[in-house]
Parts: sequence; structure tokens; C-alpha cells
Amino acid sequence: MKKLQCSAAAKICAVLVLLAAAFGAGVFGVRALISSVSITRSSWQDSSRFYSAIDERCQNLVEGIEMSQTLEELEKQIAEGTANPLAYADAEALREEKARMEERFSRQNTWFRFRLLTDDGQTLLGTNLKDDEAISRTVKEMHYFSFELWEGGAYGNGHYYDPETAGLNPDAEAAPLKLVLEYGVPEKVDDSIQDEFSQIWRLWDMDRASFDQYLTGFLNLGALTLLALFWLLWTAGHKAGAEGTVTTWQERIWFDLYAVAMIAAVVLLSACTIWAAEQLYWGRSYAVRGEDFDTFFNLGIMGAGALFAVGVGCGTLLLRTLAVRLKAHCLARTTLLCRVVTWMVRTIHDFVRLLPFTWKIVLGFGAYVIVTFFLIMGGVYNGAFMFMYLCLQLALLIFLSWWAYGYYRLRQGTKTIAGGDLEYQIDTRRMPYDLRLQAEDLNNISAGLSAAVDEKMKSERFKAELITNVSHDLKTPLTSIINYVNLLKSTQQTDPKAIEYIEVLDRKSQRLKKLTEDLVEASKASTGVLSVTREKIGMSQLIDQATAEWEEKLSDRRLTLVTTLPEGETWVYADGRHLWRVIDNLLSNCAKYAMEGTRIYLDLERGKGQVALSVKNISRDPLNVPAERLMERFVRGEESRSTEGSGLGLSIARSLTELQGGAFDLAVDGDLFKAIVTLPQAN
Amino acid sequence: MYTILICDDDRDIVSALDIYLTSEGYQTVKAYDGREAIRAAETHEVHLILMDIMMPELDGIRATARLREGSNVPIILLTAKSEDTDKILGLNIGADDYITKPFNPLEVIARVKSQLRRYTALGGAEKGPGLITAGPIAMDDGAKVVTVDGEPISLTPIEYNILKLLLSHPGQVFSSTQIYEQVWNDPAYGSENTVAVHIRHLREKIEINPAEPRYLKVVWGLGYKIEKGA
Repeated sequence: MKKLQCSAAAKICAVLVLLAAAFGAGVFGVRALISSVSITRSSWQDSSRFYSAIDERCQNLVEGIEMSQTLEELEKQIAEGTANPLAYADAEALREEKARMEERFSRQNTWFRFRLLTDDGQTLLGTNLKDDEAISRTVKEMHYFSFELWEGGAYGNGHYYDPETAGLNPDAEAAPLKLVLEYGVPEKVDDSIQDEFSQIWRLWDMDRASFDQYLTGFLNLGALTLLALFWLLWTAGHKAGAEGTVTTWQERIWFDLYAVAMIAAVVLLSACTIWAAEQLYWGRSYAVRGEDFDTFFNLGIMGAGALFAVGVGCGTLLLRTLAVRLKAHCLARTTLLCRVVTWMVRTIHDFVRLLPFTWKIVLGFGAYVIVTFFLIMGGVYNGAFMFMYLCLQLALLIFLSWWAYGYYRLRQGTKTIAGGDLEYQIDTRRMPYDLRLQAEDLNNISAGLSAAVDEKMKSERFKAELITNVSHDLKTPLTSIINYVNLLKSTQQTDPKAIEYIEVLDRKSQRLKKLTEDLVEASKASTGVLSVTREKIGMSQLIDQATAEWEEKLSDRRLTLVTTLPEGETWVYADGRHLWRVIDNLLSNCAKYAMEGTRIYLDLERGKGQVALSVKNISRDPLNVPAERLMERFVRGEESRSTEGSGLGLSIARSLTELQGGAFDLAVDGDLFKAIVTLPQAN
Repeated sequence: MYTILICDDDRDIVSALDIYLTSEGYQTVKAYDGREAIRAAETHEVHLILMDIMMPELDGIRATARLREGSNVPIILLTAKSEDTDKILGLNIGADDYITKPFNPLEVIARVKSQLRRYTALGGAEKGPGLITAGPIAMDDGAKVVTVDGEPISLTPIEYNILKLLLSHPGQVFSSTQIYEQVWNDPAYGSENTVAVHIRHLREKIEINPAEPRYLKVVWGLGYKIEKGA
């Protein structure tokens, strides 16, 4: 099947068959068209060919009558001797002419029958009927022609003379001679007398007999043409050895231009064919017998058939390229109109899309107002405008609902993403353009956020692991150092220097231990690796517990703790253990750096949803660094590092406070050192 | 004469612990990873195990789980990890106590002694009508005697009453105010600080390391409690 579809030979055959069949169909068609007149009329006399022939006869007859009148007058003048000298010759010529006319209108030579009467119908002036023949019975249809015969001419009144009123003509006396011609042709004629009527009849008879034949021929060949056409359409675009649809140069022409040209050609050729058929029809009627008209007629028919075939060929080309374009799915692409419309629509669409949103609203609203205005104005007089107005409102409602629904979806999606589901993707199908842009951006953000969160989680895990490992790696050797220093201490040392050195080792290893612990804690707190469980914590209770822990150590250093607490319990949201570490660090700071014999003030204040705990002490050494620097790691109030403490305490305290959602502030005023921990109050 | 299995991948720590424990009169068996520890526990009659968590081959947590399948010998975890989750995991898996590195050798010995006393002696201690216990702490209310790991400790009457209140409601958190009102039978007017100080003293008497209490715990910002089931 595929092979057959691709076969070039089959295609050429089909083209030839198509053209031949179209030519044949054209020939038969034109013939059928010519002969169709004989089928559609009930009688052969009911045809324009016949009418024109019989009219011509009538005219000829009237001319003959005029001629015979002229001849009579001429003869009378000759007889009277008043004629001019040349009248004899004229008369002779007229006599010859009259004889020829009589010959032409004699019964033996024509099927034309006539009676010439005076207009009162009384006097018969001439006829070619037999005596016993009544004209009304002889001819198929009687025609009348009434005319006035004046000296020098005849004036016809028309074909339809009414014999009933003819005698009542009031001007009967004024007119010199009023005549009526009754004429017609018998229904049955044959070839025994050969004149134009017998010819018309014969052709009609012939047409009538052969019409069916022509029609059958036309239909059969037409069917064959269609078959060949379908074959060509089916095989169009297929070529041996080529995949898919093969296009030719024809497909590169804009389809609409091609179609217009081809349709024009087809219409023109069809018109030509029909015109040719008509010409042939008339030509055959008027052809003088004996001339070689048949050859011309047949050639004419062939020519018309060829025109028809060319027309079919043009139509086939058009249909073929249409088929190929449809198969190659390039019809819209290769249609100029389509391209132009598409381009315009796209340009307008893009333009509207790229308009700023505000402009869209302003322009859209403006257009709506104008259209509404005209519709309402029109609606006053015309119900259709009112209906259109209602339709516009409905369309507006649908548009707004669409927008609102899109917005609703966008809102839901945003809520979901804001709720923490970063994987969520908003469905942007069938969303208004502007909302879709928004939704797509949001989707991108959520995807980016999701990636960032993943990245952060990974780095957090990495940090936590690193801290754990480092702390392990530091603590293991430190454990050995502390243990062996302890063992060394328990041995008997005779050298007092050795005892002193061991003391140093012991002190420093303890300090190293503290430093390590603080370091791990500081990095944990500042990287946020620590887990925070916030709950309702009683600040007064916590301060009690903390002071109980520190009271003795502080009084050892001759420091007095002055605590001011508000009435009743003060609740905050915090992680108890972390908050304890904050206060522990602050009090430990006091124990280390406060001047001996001074007081430490611990004040708790409530207000505006916040709880502030302040710790104030007098520094032993001058605080030669600003408050901000104090919170940095490894910074201590005095520059020397001889004293205990890692310099991490305040940094840890700040990190832990911030982890719990609080704020940690330091203030230095001379030797007064003040730390304020602010936490959200719990109800 | 008790045998103690010491297991750590750091040989210096193992020998240091060996010296301390031997000088305290214990026999020791050494192991340097989890697998060796399990093997040693099978071949020797071991009364207590000191086990590091971070070790090659088989870590301390897994080894503990493995040992717990067939033995209830006390296990003390030595951990450099100060993560709370590690401690909780270790205790849940069957360890009896833990010590964080870098440790004080005296604390190690104290904990070893405590665990051994509990493991050997406490099993047969009869539970009289007035006896309240929580972990190593036992309070005989009739005799007004409190023992930790069978060693009597001396408490002031207030300390005794506070401990009694907490012991009779293990796991429950008492705020300073509640404790004051219950023990002193007086409404508290800013005298809670007293309670905190008493409890600190109490903790120093009961706990081996008061800074890291195992039994009498401070719930920061809320109050105090005796650990349930300790």
C-alpha cells in the first residue's frame, strides 16, 4: 500500500486519467448542457431558437408585404405613366424579389403557416394554408402580428393582437390599411420539407434522444475524474525513499494567494465553458444548412471540454497542495492571512501582557466604560443592545471570578509555603497572566528557600559533628594530663622545685579543662547547635536557686549580693538550663572580676511584656575596653591574661540569651559594670 | 576483692585509671575497644565496667547493649561527649552511671564505690514499712536515718524534712515556696532563698559531684525534685 502510495508511475497515470476523464466529462457535459434545453421544455417550439426563427419569418413576411405594396404602386404609376424612367428596372427587381419570397413562403418550402387579414377579420388577403385548413388547428401555437400599412412603410403594433377587440378600433377609418398577420408552425414537422423549423425540430429531437446518453457519459467520466482526484490527494506528499510528507515549490506559495489564483482560474474556465456551450447552442441554431458547421461544432465542443479539463486540473492542483499542507501540518503557517492575523494577535497580546499592571487596569476599565456607555445608549432603542449589555456583565462576572479564584489559589499556596512546606508548588495552570507570574516567582523562591534550608541543615549538622569531634579530641588527652598530674602529686617529691612545678601543671591543666569546656559551649551556643526547649520559667525562683549556688563563693570574696525582686513570681519563656548558665556566667564573672568588699546588685523588673534582669558590680580593675568588646570572645576587662577565666563567659551568656529569644546588653560606666538580660514575659 | 574492667581506646587513660583503682584495692582487667571488652567480660568474673563511648571497632553504647543481653554488671560510661542526648542514650541502653571527661579521679573512685556497694549489698536490703528509697538513697522514717549506698549521712532536721518531702513524691517538682510551706508550715514571705541554700547543703551531702547532681536535681526556674527511679 505504502509502495503504491509512493509510486511515481501510478501518479502520472492518475494525472493522465484525470485529465482525460475531465476532458471527456467536459465534452459530454457541454453536450448535455446544450441538449438540456430540449429536456426542460415541453415542446420543441417552446425555445428561444424557435421564437427567434419564427420572428424572423414574420419580419420577412411583413417586409414582403411592404414590398408587394410598393410594387403595386410602382406598377400603378407605370400604368398611369407617372413613373420615372428607371421604375421599370425597379419593378423588375421587385418582381423577382417577390417571386423569391413567394417561393420561400410556399407550402412546399416551409412549415411556416400564415394568414394575412384585415384587422376586422373579414377579408383574407393572403395565406399558404390549404382551403380546408383552419390555421388554429394546424399550428401548435398561433402568433399574431398586427400592423398598419402606410404608403412607404409598415408599422407594427406588436405580436399580440387580440381578435376580439380588433374590430372596435376607433381609428379604423383614419388608418389607411390595418392588417393582422396570424402565423404559426405545426407541432409535427419532419424532414420532408427542409427549412429552419425542420432543422430546429431535428436538433431538438436529436438532443432529446441523446441527452440521457450525454448525461450518463458525463456522470461516469465525472466519477472517474473524482476517483483519479482522490487517488492524487491520497498519494500527495508521498515520495519513494522519503520519510514524512514531502513538500514542493507549490507549498512555498502562500496558500491563500495560491487559492485565490486557482479559484479565479477555475471560475473563469467554468464561465468560459458555459459561455462556449451557449455560443455553440446558438450557433448551431443559426447555422445555415449545407455549411460545414458540424465540424466547427465538434471542434467547439472539444475546445469546451479542454477548457473544462484545464479547470479541473487547476482545482486538482489547489486541492493537492491543500492535502499536502494538511498532511505536513503547515497549512496555517503557509497561509499569509493566517500569518498576518497570528502576528497581529500575538503583537497585541504581547503588548497587553507587557503593559504595566496599573495601565492594564486603567485601559481595561476605560474600554469597559466606553462599551457599556454605547450599549446602554443603544439599549434605549434596541433590545439587542440591552441583551449584549447583559452578556457583557456576565462576561465581566466570569472574568472577575476567574481572577478571584486564581488569587485564592495563589493565597492558599502562599499560606502553605509560609507555613513551612517549602516543597509546595502552586498550580499555575489556567491562571490569569499577572497572577501566574507572581505564582511562578513564588514557586522559584520556595524552591530556592528549600535548597537554602537544606544547605543550612547540612552545614548545621557538619558544625555539630565538628564540635563534638573536636571536643572529644581535646578532652581525651586532657583527661590523661589531669590524671597523671594527680598521680604525680601523690608521689613523694624531695625537690621543693618539683612540687612547685607540679602545682603549676595542676593549675594550668584545670584551667585548660575549663577553657575547653567553655570553648565547646561557646561554639555550640553561637552556632545554634544547642537544642532549646522554651517553657514557662519562674524568674524569682531561678534567681533564688542561682544565689543559693553562689552565695558562699561570693561571701568568700567578701562580696554581698543585693537582690531586688518584684512582688510575686515573674514568669518568662525560656530554657531553664540555658538561662541558669547565663546567670551562672554573670555571677561567676562577678566572683572573678568584682572588687572585694563591694555589693553586687541583682534587679528584676517587669514591664511591657518584657522582663529585665540586671546584674551590677564594681570592677576591681579599670575597664579599659568598651562594652561591645567585652562581649567578644577571649576579651576580658584587663589586658593581662593571668587571672582565671577564659574570656568566653559573656560571649556564651549573650549567645544563650539570644537563642532563647532574649536580648543581652552590657553597659560600662567608669568602674560600674552592668549586664542586662531581657526576656519575653509569659502570662 | 572486686574485679573492674577498664575499657578505653586511650591507653594512658586506662593505665591511669588502673593505677587509681589498684591503689584502692581493686583488681583490674584492661581492654582497648568494645570487642575486647565483651571478650574480657566473658573470660573474667567482672564486678564493674568502666567503658568509654567513642571507641574503634565497637563503640561503648553498642558494647553496653551487647553486655546487657546477658549480664547486669554495673557499667559506668566515660564520655567525652557532653551532649545530653548521649548520656540519656547511654542510661537508657542499660548503663548505670556516667562520668564526663576530663574527669576527676576521685569522682571516678567515688562512683565506682557507690555502684559496687549498690550492686553487691543493696540487693538484699529489706524494705521495711517506714523505708523510702530512691536510687542509692534510703530513708528509714522510723529510725530517722538516711543512708546513701548504705552509708549513713547526718542531716539537720530541716534537711531531713525537705528530703522526706521530695523522696515521698519522686519525679514531682517542688518550688521553693511549696517546700517552705510544707516543711516550715508557714506561709512563705520571701524566705525561699533559705530553701535553696538548704537544698544546696543537702545536695553536697548526698551527691558525689554536687555540680552534676544525679539524684536531687535542680529544675532551673521551677524548683527541685528527686529523680524518679534513680
